[in-house]
Amino acid sequence: MVFDRRARLRIRPADNPFASHRIDALGFRPTGPKPEDLAERLDALGGRADVVGPEGSGKTTLLEELSRRLDGEVALVPLSGTSRRPWSTVTARLPHPVDGRHSVLVDCAGLLGAAGRLMLRRRCRNARRLVITSHRPGRLPTLVDCQTSPELLADLVCELTPEHADRLDPILEELFRRHDGNLRLCFRELYDAFAGIR
Amino acid sequence: MTDMLTIRTDGGRTWFRPGEIIEGDVSWLLDTDADDLEIRLFWYTSGKGTRDVEIVDSSRTSVPGQNGNRSFRLQASDGPYSFSGKLITLSWALELVVNPGGVSERLDLVIGPQPIEVQLGRPDGF
Repeated sequence: MVFDRRARLRIRPADNPFASHRIDALGFRPTGPKPEDLAERLDALGGRADVVGPEGSGKTTLLEELSRRLDGEVALVPLSGTSRRPWSTVTARLPHPVDGRHSVLVDCAGLLGAAGRLMLRRRCRNARRLVITSHRPGRLPTLVDCQTSPELLADLVCELTPEHADRLDPILEELFRRHDGNLRLCFRELYDAFAGIR
Repeated sequence: MTDMLTIRTDGGRTWFRPGEIIEGDVSWLLDTDADDLEIRLFWYTSGKGTRDVEIVDSSRTSVPGQNGNRSFRLQASDGPYSFSGKLITLSWALELVVNPGGVSERLDLVIGPQPIEVQLGRPDGF
């Protein structure tokens, strides 16, 4: 057993090292371009680009990082699997009209479907920049290909809970494999372990 | 110099009963003039999954200048209580925010029938 059961039960959700507010605060970990180079790289791609990667690989985190580094007006549109009408969410968040001052960043653009993505590109044809995230490359030039690794998971765990990192280290590779490299799912399982759930 | 913001409740209290009036004062010492300051009473959740937040009461001061102080009077709602379960902690806080810039200061509170947060899943609840 990695943790003492009595110790686990005393941890408040707010103090759990894998609580969502702590995960969100980790920030983007570059495996490709440095964060400070993202805007320049995007402009070199003509201002139209895709952030590619599997579930839980940090695409959303990267998009949030990018949104803080772009000049002009930035519209960050977060879609999720629970968005019942993703196109309505997009139109509600976009400026009217979208023009050359605007950078539009759409997370989980794959939820829009082919027609929705086409409408998005039409609607944003005058935008200064358009960045979407997706699981597969090919829709737009790739800005960053987000990849995860057991080493990245170990680094993040060490940052979240340095006092437990040594004890967690032996289980991380298996955890990473079991969740197919989805760091979000790895963190949720670690949250449960600390909370004494299951 | 760095911006200094302070929130004080009357008597230094950090526990209030549901629905109670929370009174105190805030002070500020800023590098540059602010347009306005806002004191907010809110609750938020943290733990597993999506976070939730609700501002229950707030008060705004326009043209506050670079330094000063003022009193506030905000009212807690009847619920939710401060609590911790296995999935989320619900916490209350006062927050002083400077606009523009978003510099802020926070004071954590307990809102509930007892001075400690309710512990869900324990026989006595506390």
